[in-house]
Amino acid sequence: MRAAAGVLAGGLAMTAVSAGQPRGASVRGRVELPHVPVMVERRPASGELGEGPPRDAAEWRRAVVYFETAPKGAFEAEDVHAQMDQRNETFVPHLLAVTVGTTVDFPNDDRTYHNVFSLSKTKRFDLGRYAAGRSKSVRFDRPGVVRVFCEIHSHMNAFILVFTHRFFGVTDPDGRYQIDGVPPGTIDGEAGSRDWRTGALIGLRFSKTYMHDGRAKNIRDAILLHGGPGSEAAPCIELFKKYTPDNQDILVRYVEAL
Amino acid sequence: MSTRSRLALPIVIVLGLCARLEAQGWPEQTATLFDGRVTLGGEATATVAPEDKGHFTYTDYERSSLQLVRLGVAAAIRPIDRLTFVVDLRAEGDTSGGDWSAIPVALYVRVRPWRDRRFDIQAGRIPPVFGVAGRHIYASDNVLIGTPLAWQYLTVLRADAVPANADELIYARSYGWQPGYSVGDDGYARGVPLATAFRYDTGVEARIGDDVSLVSVAVALTNGTLSAPGLRSSNGGPQVSTRVALHPSPAWVIGASYADGRFVADTVRDGLPASQSGGRYPQRTIGGDAEYSLGHVLIRAELVAARWTLPVLGPPPIDNPLWSTGVSVEGRYKIAPGVTAALRGDHLGFNSQTGTYLTLPWDAPVSRVEGGVSWAATRHVILRGSIQYNSRNRGPIRSATLPAAQVTLWF
Repeated sequence: MRAAAGVLAGGLAMTAVSAGQPRGASVRGRVELPHVPVMVERRPASGELGEGPPRDAAEWRRAVVYFETAPKGAFEAEDVHAQMDQRNETFVPHLLAVTVGTTVDFPNDDRTYHNVFSLSKTKRFDLGRYAAGRSKSVRFDRPGVVRVFCEIHSHMNAFILVFTHRFFGVTDPDGRYQIDGVPPGTIDGEAGSRDWRTGALIGLRFSKTYMHDGRAKNIRDAILLHGGPGSEAAPCIELFKKYTPDNQDILVRYVEAL
Repeated sequence: MSTRSRLALPIVIVLGLCARLEAQGWPEQTATLFDGRVTLGGEATATVAPEDKGHFTYTDYERSSLQLVRLGVAAAIRPIDRLTFVVDLRAEGDTSGGDWSAIPVALYVRVRPWRDRRFDIQAGRIPPVFGVAGRHIYASDNVLIGTPLAWQYLTVLRADAVPANADELIYARSYGWQPGYSVGDDGYARGVPLATAFRYDTGVEARIGDDVSLVSVAVALTNGTLSAPGLRSSNGGPQVSTRVALHPSPAWVIGASYADGRFVADTVRDGLPASQSGGRYPQRTIGGDAEYSLGHVLIRAELVAARWTLPVLGPPPIDNPLWSTGVSVEGRYKIAPGVTAALRGDHLGFNSQTGTYLTLPWDAPVSRVEGGVSWAATRHVILRGSIQYNSRNRGPIRSATLPAAQVTLWF
């Protein structure tokens, strides 16, 4: 399989498995988020006369796993609909991935007005105020990330990712994803280091597993696993192996301090 | 603490927050700390406009609302569920120069006694329950730069000084930024608006219902009055104020308000003749407001009618009560994503007083039309431009056309 993967909202460990199937391969895995953001609170407004109405917590644990480049001819724009609801002052889902040409419906299932808008370069729109039971729609014709907000409730926000292909998956609450239907013809070799987005070293200490498939359980293992045949990092890894255990510990502690 | 020192803290807080948040990428969300127990929001606003020589836009902070530089940081601290401390620190300066001031605009505790009941109690320096405009003081809540006349325009009345007769009152007409009277404080000082949008009163308030309830009722007991709020009582009695709001549908909000509190300060009352010193001399205010919104249109109207009773000391006598009524109607229309146009018409009228030679409104009626456009360059950076035309039927300067530009950064 030849693929690059990206994870929205952060995530350093990912397991990818490809299996040849008559109608294409499946890529599946699990995303672990090093930080789970707390629920977004209302903006403090000293002019309020009391608490606001109750609201739901957004599904912050979701992530999108996607191919940065897709096989040629793998996608034809279709006139499909997706939905992003407004419920208890929360966008549901908080994270939506669609293909170019998709029309997203924004029904208001709340007791109050909402005013959905975006100032993103990918798509600028403002649906105005509309009441419960009504819905308005936006068609997304360009790929990119669209930040969605409510003008009335500043704590309401959501992401819409618009892709030029269909090879993406939104994780379930446990972080699992599956991308199906990858055309067999596109599997032309093993995934190499340049095909995977290397995670930043900063904040690496928050990770529970390392490497793209999570097989390294600590930083020392992760360093050593980079030393395989053909690896550009092999000379460095050999040097690391020659260090005394104390010096190796110093290097590991340095990485953990980043 | 010097003015400079008082300014230093909020400026450092805002700059520090901005630097921290910028380093992480400008936050799309409210800044939260301690697992959401502390929530921070802030706003920095700078407004430039030509000098307002007619003092149409001056506030009770003795500066023009079109030349404000404002730094505000608000925090909600929730140590336990159903208990929240709200603090709103604000520093204000003037793009034309002059002194700065820094105050805790709001500093109160909010308690929700029952988790599942929409009933809240707030105590401390609290927002007004009366009307609407007084609770929407920040630029990020508004499209137009100016403030409705009833909530900003300085009338010739003062709580710490009163006219000895109707002539003295009529003589001061149109000089609301520095009326002077012979009873009480004999210096010149600013007058009061019908209700102030720039300072909060101190006391306790309770609200039943919320913004999605069919009916919500709020009641407050505070030290000052709508026109002269304060940290301590200076007029011998509390003010009672209330607002009832109806939300028949999400499109409509209809409100009715009432406030009654002693207006004339103790320092004035103590110096009155025995026959007058026992008077209550209240400010009673009624209000009505309505808002309709649908799609890209929002229309808001507000009426504030205040009635003051002053001591009757000498001839020609002041014909109590003194009425003043402010009416404003504002329309907003969203032209494009992030671009909103607004127009507001505003009038402030006064009932008549009979002096020795003339019968005139006790202050000069004033009208204002303001139009403007706001543009959200990003979600957190808003640029505004507006122009307002003010007219008044008396005074050395009877009209003023004031363009203004404003930039707001909020998080």
